[in-house]
Amino acid sequence: MPEAIIEATNLRKTFGHVEALRGLSLEVHAGSLCGFLGRNGAGKTTTLKILLGMMRPTSGEARVFGRRVSDSVASVEIRRDAAFVGEDKPLFDYMTVQDVIRFTAAFYPRWRHDLEQHYLATFGLSPAMKVKTFSRGMRTGLALLLALCRNARLLILDEPTSGLDPAMSEQVLQALVRHVASEETTVFFSSHQIAEVEQVADRVVIIDRGRTMITAALDDLRAQYRRIHFVFDEEAPAPVFRAKGVERMYRDGRVLTVLASAGAERIVEEGRTLRPVSVDVVPVSLKEIFLESSGMEG
Amino acid sequence: METSFLRPNPSSGVPIYLQLIEQVKHAIETGALRAGEQLPGIRPLAEQLVINPNTVAKAYRELEHEGVIELRHGAGAFVSGNVRPRQMTANVRAGQAIVAGAITRLRARGLGEEEIRRLFEAQLAGLPGKGERSA
Amino acid sequence: MLWYKAWLETRWRFLIGLAVLMMFACGAVLDYPAIARLNASVSAIDAPGNLGRLIREAAATQRTYRGFIWFQWYRQNLVQTWTILAVLLGSGGLMGASSGSALFALSMPVSRMRLAGVRAATALTELLALAVIPSLLIPLLSPAVGEHYGLGETAVHSLSLFLGGSLFFSLAFLLSAVFDDFWRPMLITCAIALSQTLVGALAGLPFSEMLRVMSAESYFRMGQVPWVGLGLAVTTGLLMLSAAVAIVEQRDF
Repeated sequence: MPEAIIEATNLRKTFGHVEALRGLSLEVHAGSLCGFLGRNGAGKTTTLKILLGMMRPTSGEARVFGRRVSDSVASVEIRRDAAFVGEDKPLFDYMTVQDVIRFTAAFYPRWRHDLEQHYLATFGLSPAMKVKTFSRGMRTGLALLLALCRNARLLILDEPTSGLDPAMSEQVLQALVRHVASEETTVFFSSHQIAEVEQVADRVVIIDRGRTMITAALDDLRAQYRRIHFVFDEEAPAPVFRAKGVERMYRDGRVLTVLASAGAERIVEEGRTLRPVSVDVVPVSLKEIFLESSGMEG
Repeated sequence: METSFLRPNPSSGVPIYLQLIEQVKHAIETGALRAGEQLPGIRPLAEQLVINPNTVAKAYRELEHEGVIELRHGAGAFVSGNVRPRQMTANVRAGQAIVAGAITRLRARGLGEEEIRRLFEAQLAGLPGKGERSA
Repeated sequence: MLWYKAWLETRWRFLIGLAVLMMFACGAVLDYPAIARLNASVSAIDAPGNLGRLIREAAATQRTYRGFIWFQWYRQNLVQTWTILAVLLGSGGLMGASSGSALFALSMPVSRMRLAGVRAATALTELLALAVIPSLLIPLLSPAVGEHYGLGETAVHSLSLFLGGSLFFSLAFLLSAVFDDFWRPMLITCAIALSQTLVGALAGLPFSEMLRVMSAESYFRMGQVPWVGLGLAVTTGLLMLSAAVAIVEQRDF
């Protein structure tokens, strides 16, 4: 297993009376393109901000590059090797493109001027433009440029493609893939676009109400999750399966549906002993897995 | 060859790496890829198709395991010398005949097109570990 | 680049403030002949009570050019305008133009202390310039109305203003660390500053000490620099700035 670039253990964060994080743990490994999924308010932005030192956890610990995020000095070191693109693509509105680039580049001695030219062209930006006049797409382009040109080992992005048209989204994803492939960067990005996560991510972390529900390789999820339909002659029974991996079971008249996160074969075997008329096994999409883990009826 | 790879559909239910494997095999069958020709590198292909490089790597490993391609260390991926397009086409033709026969028999039992499709999909999906090799 | 960023965040307040103050300084000097003539007729007024006493005192002070400059410039125009600018420059703290700016700055590999420190230092440097540069116009322009004003006095008064008044800057800066918006720190500090200068002066309350220190009244009247007052102001200001940095270190963004 490659080294853990991000490690969070039992993070808790309370804002007044609201518990945003309730014991959240996760791991992201080097070289991974990891998707971070969760409903609005599940705690994604809070988690990302804690990793970068913008917020302090109420309790629990997190490490990035092995350094503790709650330590102010260590946190500065973390940010020397990491890049953050927040949900609103924070920038200095009162600066020009050139100023913002020079400001950022001043902190990163390994600044990639070649990539800077490339991304200026790709995203249609020119040095004299004023940030405050930017559309959403341009802000994203510039924020991404600033993140990618600093030669960071880790990119943390909060909903990088939200509000973007499909072409721009694809450019963003393509840039992320390129950096993971050739620059050996690790990417941890939150998103509501499940299809995009399915497209480029190799691992996924799904959280709900301040806790991690699922942490797995996408390929494993695809291979393991199954929806099994048993149809019976009469009213479907409500068995208790000995086989592990049953996430949910529902009966609708003569149909018993089982959502399995693993061991579908064993469940099918057991189910057959109840003499169903037919057995149907179908794959489960990431969207369904996500909805399921967020407590929504499938 | 680079431009003729189609972007895989991430939500189709078929794992992306399987879609890639199918594309390579199909390209060999149709003659778009010939024995000994070089395939795109893992990183460039991943970037072009905007998919995870591990997915491309997995597809290439599987194709190598099946003997369809050779991975030459430091040089890249090449279509196997002993792959004959006609042999693949023969397999596909034989497969077509089998499927045609099966569908005729299923129709004779009164099953409709959709039901037949679902049966095939369920059969394919209901075998966890189909096509997987431990990484 | 942190200094450049802080400059960009504060430059309009600084430049406009500088322009306004320089205009006031010119105005003060060039108005002198007219005011002097007016003064001659005012001394005859006999108003009752505290207010009357103040009016007579003011008139008496302004009989000399030196007194006039002290009263009009160092005790009124400069103090009032400069204090507002000190509050304006102190408000906004790390947030700058928007919370987006703060998040962007915080995502850089730089400590919060340095971010806040550079912001404070830039603003204080600007405030020093705002106290000294317009005041230098006075000795420069005085010969135009046939008068003379010493550089030494200019230095004492403008520096007293800066050192004493930096307290208000620090208060606004501290409040900005606590409140997220621009307006609350500004309004609260302005209210306190107003109560110091205006109300205090009229009612003769001890609060008007701040005004006395900032205008270096003891120096004007008796040649005694208000070291104690200035020392207290600077110390309190530094304590407030430290508190602001400590708050910024701990809070969430």
